[in-house]
Order: sequence, then structure tokens, then C-alpha cells
Amino acid sequence: MTVAVGGSWVLATLATTVPSAPETGETPGTLRLVGGAETIDSAGALALARLLADWEEQGWHVETTDLSPAQRKLVERLGSRLPEMRLPQPRREGVLARIGRATVDKLVEANAFLAFVGELVSRGGRHLMLPWRVRWREVVAEVEAAGLRALGIVGLLSFLVGMVMAYQAGATLQDYGANVLIVNLVGIITLREMGPLLTAIIVAGRTGSSYTAQLGTMRITEEIDALRAIGIPPFEILILPKVIALILVMPLLAVFANLMGLLGGAVVAASRFEVSFAVYFDRLPEVVSLTTLMLGLVKMPVFAIVIALIGCMQGMRVAGSALAVGRATTVSVVQATFLVIVIDAMFSVLFNLLGY
Amino acid sequence: MSEAAQDAVVRLAGIRNCFGAECVHDGLDLALPPGRITALVGGSGSGKTVLLRTLTMLREPNAGAVELFGIDTRRCGERRRQALRRAIGVLFQGGALFTALTVLENVMLPLREHTRLRGIHLAELAMSKVLLAGLPAGSAGKYPAELSGGMVKRAALARALALDPRLLVLDEPTSGLDPISAAGFDALIRELTDSLDLTVIQATHDLDSIWRGSDQVAFLARKRVLALGSAAELARRDEPELAAYFRGSRSAEYAKLHADLSWEE
Repeated sequence: MTVAVGGSWVLATLATTVPSAPETGETPGTLRLVGGAETIDSAGALALARLLADWEEQGWHVETTDLSPAQRKLVERLGSRLPEMRLPQPRREGVLARIGRATVDKLVEANAFLAFVGELVSRGGRHLMLPWRVRWREVVAEVEAAGLRALGIVGLLSFLVGMVMAYQAGATLQDYGANVLIVNLVGIITLREMGPLLTAIIVAGRTGSSYTAQLGTMRITEEIDALRAIGIPPFEILILPKVIALILVMPLLAVFANLMGLLGGAVVAASRFEVSFAVYFDRLPEVVSLTTLMLGLVKMPVFAIVIALIGCMQGMRVAGSALAVGRATTVSVVQATFLVIVIDAMFSVLFNLLGY
Repeated sequence: MSEAAQDAVVRLAGIRNCFGAECVHDGLDLALPPGRITALVGGSGSGKTVLLRTLTMLREPNAGAVELFGIDTRRCGERRRQALRRAIGVLFQGGALFTALTVLENVMLPLREHTRLRGIHLAELAMSKVLLAGLPAGSAGKYPAELSGGMVKRAALARALALDPRLLVLDEPTSGLDPISAAGFDALIRELTDSLDLTVIQATHDLDSIWRGSDQVAFLARKRVLALGSAAELARRDEPELAAYFRGSRSAEYAKLHADLSWEE
């Protein structure tokens, strides 16, 4: 039997599927290809090779002597490797396996965080004994990036939240003619909770994520390894300055946030609830004390350490691809925000037990 | 113009490429004859990569014409340019594999985008390219981060071959490979050129690729293609740049071997 081959066997004209060889109904014998493709590329050759393989499976002996030598060579070459092209079926994991893997991942993560804290304490402690070994130039740069440049966003958001609180407090208090108590509510909530918490969340989203992205990219481009090879511990030049900078800068940012929050409250109190600026700021020192302020600020260094460490740890754990950097940055923000709020709640419970 | 240059796959004329006041190319002409492997050679900073970017339409030259398959790229619309791009396979210096995709998915990406093939046929065709590029079948499911340098080059070659290009552009295909892998890569390029009817241009520093793996050598210097010919021909030329390149200590051995030239005696 002869089968004529013709036309162009090229990728652009191939349909979505390659037909399998039709059953001829005859008893298999010798099958001769005649003619030849006008043009053929490797996709066409593969389709042809697949057809020939099908026929051979049906028991035909296929002769390709009529094709041009170049076409024959290409078809035979691809045909000889057809078995290898069978795709391995990806193995699907069961529910149990996935739960197990997720659990182990979480444990590994927790362990890595503890190890990171340990490294900070052991190395950082040694550096604090020898403050001249700390890289202050890097610290200053980080202070500028995480502190100075965050002033705008921290200030604006705190101001707005202060306004919102004053609106809600005022609306309720107005009914009782107790407008002036706005100062108590806004003052205490801002200093003890909103100022510090808002600052921490903004820093986690803004600075923590940038730490992860920076270190993660440096891991992928082998810059971290290069630092090690040059003999500069990455911990010393990249991580410690970030931790120190955040510890320095976050209480200051919180003070600024407090100030703007109180101001936002004052604006609403004066414009909507007949509590003038003079009354507002006259009353403020009576209802909040230095202790109120300090109870808010004392949390900041803890937030700073958590945010800096999670940001850096996630960055240093990046391996492989650009995708991993994106994933690590997401994880870093989620974890840092989560821990900041959990720790804040723990502080509230603790202060309550201590009678503050 | 000679007859060979008439049906050239690529023709560059009067190309000027500048970065600010600094020009790397000025009045550069080059024509690539079909079915041949051309090595693009020159010192570091002579603009090899820039030239490759120009002829693959990744960079607009500051002046001059780029003609691909007889079509002037300045005079055709975006749709036509896209069609031209599909006929060019590019292997970037670092591989430029998509790190989020496996090797097979990397090869499937252009196929899925530009053909009607789907499902098992798509995967199978991609797999044939992976095998064609000399990778073991087992590596198809791996991510680029899990591959060695040589395998990255081969995977990138498989992706470059995905759409059966007529022109293959290779930027330092053998750099960073051990001599055995590099020789294997050269042989592979030669084989593919013959069997798939490709035209190849490769920027390279590899002396083996220049002397054995290429049909002609284009030597970049003085902001243009200073000389075009076989390595042996260029080795006989007297321009100081060519003499330094081809008769320098490392090249001299090749020159003796392949061009029957010996100056030292």
C-alpha cells in the first residue's frame, strides 16, 4: 500500500490535535510513503513520526525511502525518541500528606524564627558590648528610610484615625451632654493603643516588606554569598543595622503618630462638638499622664524587633526564583502584622493584671 | 552587492547605536547568509550584545536599517514585527528562563501563545524540543533553579527552538560551560542548523566555537564590522585588532592548527 505525503507540515498550519493513523481495514503489510512534504518543520516531522509509529503499532512495515534525505532524517530522529516524550504523570498528594507537609512547614518556620532570635541575641549582644563595631553608617541610612520617609504616611493616617475616633465618641457623648469627655476617649485610646499599633502596622507593611524583598533579591543574585565570601558577615551589615534602626525609630514614630492622632481628634472636637482647642489641650494633661504615654511607647521596641526579624528572616529564607521573593514578602507582612496585634493584646492583658 | 548578500536572512545597514554621547556602533553593515553559522566576535564592550538586541528588534538603533527576511523593520507595523519576532529564536546570555515555570512549561509558553496546539500534543511537541536540545527527559519537570549552568543553556535553547525559528540568535551560548559541554553544544548547534535549516548568529568568546563551530566570523571593532570571513582568513589579516585577537597567545595554537599559519618561527 502507498500513502501520499504532501502539502506543508509546519507548526503554523497544524490543527489543535494531530490525528492518529486511520485503520485501513487491510491486513498489514508494507506501507510506502510517496511524495514528500513541500515544507516541513520539526513540529510537522513530529506529527509525521507519530503517524508512522501508529501504523507500525498496527503491524505495518513503513518504508520512507521516497522522502527526501533531510526529511527522512528529521522524521526518523524524532521518531526514535518518541517513547521518551511520554510525559510523567504528576503525582497528586492526598489530604493527609498535605496537612502533614503544612504542619512540618510551620514547625520548621517557627524553628527558623527561634534560631534567628538566638543569632540576634548572641551576635547582637556581643556588638552592643563593643558599640564601635556596629555599622552606624548603615544604621543611619536605615533610620532615614524607615523613619524619616515614613513620617508623611504615619502622620496622615494617624490624623485621620484620630478624627474618626472623635466623630464616633462625640456622636455618643453628645446625647449625654458630655462632649468634653471626647478628650478622655481620644487621648487615652490614641496614646495607649491606636498610635503605637497603627505605627507598627504601617511599618510592618512598608518597611518589613521592603526588608524581605531586598534580602530575598540579594539571596537570588548571590549578593549575600558574595558578602560572606568577602568576609563581611551579612548579619552584621544587613540585619543588625535594620534591627537597631527600627528599635530607635519606632518609638519616635509612635510619638509622632500620637501627636497627629490627638490633633485629628482636636480638629473634629472643635469643629463638630463645640470643644475648642483651648479646652481640648487644657483638659488633655488632666486625663492622660506620662504613664499613659509610656504604656504605649514601651511596646514599640518589641514591635520593632518582631518586624525587623520577620522581615529579615523571610528574606534570608528565599531560595530559587523571582516568585519566591514575592511569596516571602507576602508572608512577611502577614506574619509581622499578625504578631504585632497578638503581642499588643498580650500587653493589654499584662497591663491590666498589673493594674494599669 | 554580492549574490550571497541578496538573499540574506538578516541585513544591517548603516547601524548606529549610541548611549548618550557614547556610540558603540557607527555605520555598521552586516549580512547573514542563510543556513550558515556566523560568529560575532570582538573585545569586551565592543557591542556584541547590543548588536544582537538590535537585530532581534529589542532595541531601536539610533540610525540605520534592520532588514529581516527581506523586510525592512522600520517600514512595518507592530503586527508584522510580531510575526518577524516569531521567526527568531533568542538564547539570552543568562538563559532568561522564567523561574516560576518548569523547563517544559518554559518551552510550552511560546507554543501555547502562538499555535493552536493544545493538551497532550502541545506537551509532546515541547518535550521533543527539550530532547532536541539534548536534555534528559527527566529534567523537563524541573525548575530553572534546580538546573546546572549547562542545562540552563540547553533549556533556553529548547525554548528558543520552540516555534521552529528560521533565525537563531545566541548570546554567548558556551560561556560558563566546561569544554566538553561546550563542544557538545557546538555540535548540537551545527546539527540543528543542518537538520532544521536554521541561520545562526552567535556572540562568543569561545575559541573552539569560533574556529570550529562557525562558518564565518564577523569581527566587531572600530564601531563596525571590521572584517567578515572564515577564522583562517581573518587570522591572515594585518589590522592590529585582528592580529591581536587571532594571533595572540591563546589563538595562535588554533591559527597554527587550522590556518597553517605560524608567525613565531
